[in-house]
Amino acid sequence: MEVLFLISALVCVLGTLILLTQRNAVYALLGLLIAFFGSAGVFRALDAPFIAVAQILIYAGALAVMFLFVLMFTDTRTQLDALGVPGAVGARPVYKPGQERKQGEAALKFNPLEHILLPQPLAAVVAVAFLLCVSFAIYKLPPSFNEFGPLPAGYDSLVFTPGVEQGRNLPYGSTEAVSKTIFEGFPLAFEIVSLLIFAAILGAVLLARRHLAGIPGSQDAGREATGTDEAH
Amino acid sequence: MLEPKTVLFLAALLFSAGLYGVLSRRNMILMLMCLELMLNAVNIALVTYSRHWAGRGADVFSSHSGQFFTLMVMAVAAAEVGIGLAIIVAIFRRKHTADADSAAELRN
Repeated sequence: MEVLFLISALVCVLGTLILLTQRNAVYALLGLLIAFFGSAGVFRALDAPFIAVAQILIYAGALAVMFLFVLMFTDTRTQLDALGVPGAVGARPVYKPGQERKQGEAALKFNPLEHILLPQPLAAVVAVAFLLCVSFAIYKLPPSFNEFGPLPAGYDSLVFTPGVEQGRNLPYGSTEAVSKTIFEGFPLAFEIVSLLIFAAILGAVLLARRHLAGIPGSQDAGREATGTDEAH
Repeated sequence: MLEPKTVLFLAALLFSAGLYGVLSRRNMILMLMCLELMLNAVNIALVTYSRHWAGRGADVFSSHSGQFFTLMVMAVAAAEVGIGLAIIVAIFRRKHTADADSAAELRN
């Protein structure tokens, strides 16, 4: 577990560095993915295999794809910054005949920092101050936090399954134990979260929809009023 | 020997890295990505406490509530990313940029 934790933590930090330093947003998303996989390894090292699998499924599977879709929808490659490098999302420079020679000369002069964001001092000060405060709090934790205790042999389960005698032994972190906690310990929170996700789906559809015919104030309402839209 | 303090420090490190990213990036999509990193760091801390209390002889609900809240955080993060990305797409459609400074009509 120690070795797995160290490797996962290294992978996590590496992905975070890629996320923070890459100018290209797709590379930054790749760094975020690496960090998610690393933290899944950390969860596994902490004896929570169900959370590790859920992490890979939800974060690395669903969220990354959603981010990638929106990165493709909102192509902001035409923004150039002061260096003449395409802006944050820029994967390739935009072809402009006038700028071609200038960018060619810039490419000849090899600049390793070209695709790396320079550190922002004020943000770094805030983040490092936060890290120092939290590290001091962690350092001041009681000595019971110096080591993980031994895992319990298992928990008594009253889950009734036909054909299986009652009183099974659930090991820590197993899917059965987590589901027992969800459905017997916190069922109301579980149901409320389903409502929250339902509301989020409706809200996302409503926000990202292009035309809302007949609803004043929605997006592109002015275009509908001028008659240039055939949605009527 | 794996210590809870080490894992908690990793969580704090990832959280402050995400904070730095949110403060330093200008693209709203990248800010949202760094926000996800911060939520992920909180998840690591929650699972660490869950494991800690399991080693201290807590019952099944108390020792697994950290993992339960991790699942809740994942669900809330999914909802938050859905809404946030929809808002970013809506802003991009009006302003043709995803720069966070472009949506500053409420300033002053």
